[in-house]
Amino acid sequence: MPETVRSLSRTPFVLIGIGVALFLFGSYWGLFISPPERFMGEVQRIMYVHVPTAWNWMLAVLFAFFCAIAFLFRGDLKWDARMDAGLEVGSLLAFLLCVQGSIWAKPTWGVWWDWDPRLTSVAVLLFAFLGIIALRRFVDDPTKRAIWSSVATVIASVDLPIVYFSVKWWNSLHQQQSTPETVSSVFYIPLRVNAFAIFFLMIGFIMLRSRIAALRLTNEVAPPPLMAEQAGEMA
Amino acid sequence: MTGVVTGGWEFVWAAYGITAVALFVYGVTLVTRLREEVSRGLRERQRQ
Repeated sequence: MPETVRSLSRTPFVLIGIGVALFLFGSYWGLFISPPERFMGEVQRIMYVHVPTAWNWMLAVLFAFFCAIAFLFRGDLKWDARMDAGLEVGSLLAFLLCVQGSIWAKPTWGVWWDWDPRLTSVAVLLFAFLGIIALRRFVDDPTKRAIWSSVATVIASVDLPIVYFSVKWWNSLHQQQSTPETVSSVFYIPLRVNAFAIFFLMIGFIMLRSRIAALRLTNEVAPPPLMAEQAGEMA
Repeated sequence: MTGVVTGGWEFVWAAYGITAVALFVYGVTLVTRLREEVSRGLRERQRQ
C-alpha cells in the first residue's frame, strides 16, 4: 500500500473492522443460536440481515438528503463529496435490501417479487439514486454537477417517508414494522448486533467513499501542468 | 397447507452469502479506488 494511503486516517478501517467482527458474531448467533420462528421456521433468520440493512439504508438516504441540503445552503463542495458517498452506499444497501427481500419472499409469499407498495417504493428510490449517480458522470463542471445532483437527491428523498409509511397507508403484502412489543426477546440479540454491524460498515464505507470523492475533486479542479507553470512564471 | 414454512436453509444461506460477498467486494473496490486517486494526485503534483 502506498505510504500516502497508509498515512490517511485509520478511522474508517477501524469502523469497518468493528463492523465485520460484529457481523460475524451477529450472523453466527442468528444462524446457529437463535431458535427458528414458529410460522416462518428457518427462513425467519433472514430477518437478522434484512431488517438491519433496511434501517441502515434509511439512514444512508437521510445522510445523502442532509448533505444535499447542506450543499445547497452553503455551497461547499465537501458536502457534495459526502452526498456522493451517501448516494453510492445507499444504492448498495437498497440493492441488498431488494435481493434479501426477494429471497425471503419466495418461500413465504411464493413469488420472488410483487408490486407491493413497500417493495415498489424501495425500487423507485434505488433507481432514482442510480439515475443521480449516472447523471453525475455526464456533468464535467463540479459546481453544476453538485447543484443538479443535490436538487435531484432532495426530490428523490421524498420517497423515503412513502417507503416507511407504505405498510401503514396501504393494505400491503409486506408486514408492518416490528417493534420491541411485537418481537420476542429471543430474537433481539442477533437483530441488534447486526444492526450495529451494518451501521459501522456503512459509516466506514461512507467515510472512505467521501475521501475518494474529495480526492477526485481536488485532482479535477487542480490546474493543468502548463497553466500551473505559467501561473508560477507570472507570480 | 399448515401455514408453517418448512426447510428453507438454502434461502437463508443465499441471503447471508450475497450480503457478505456484496459488502466485501464493495469494500475492496473502495480501497482500490482510494489507492488510484491517491496515486493520481501524486502523479499530478509531480507533473506540476
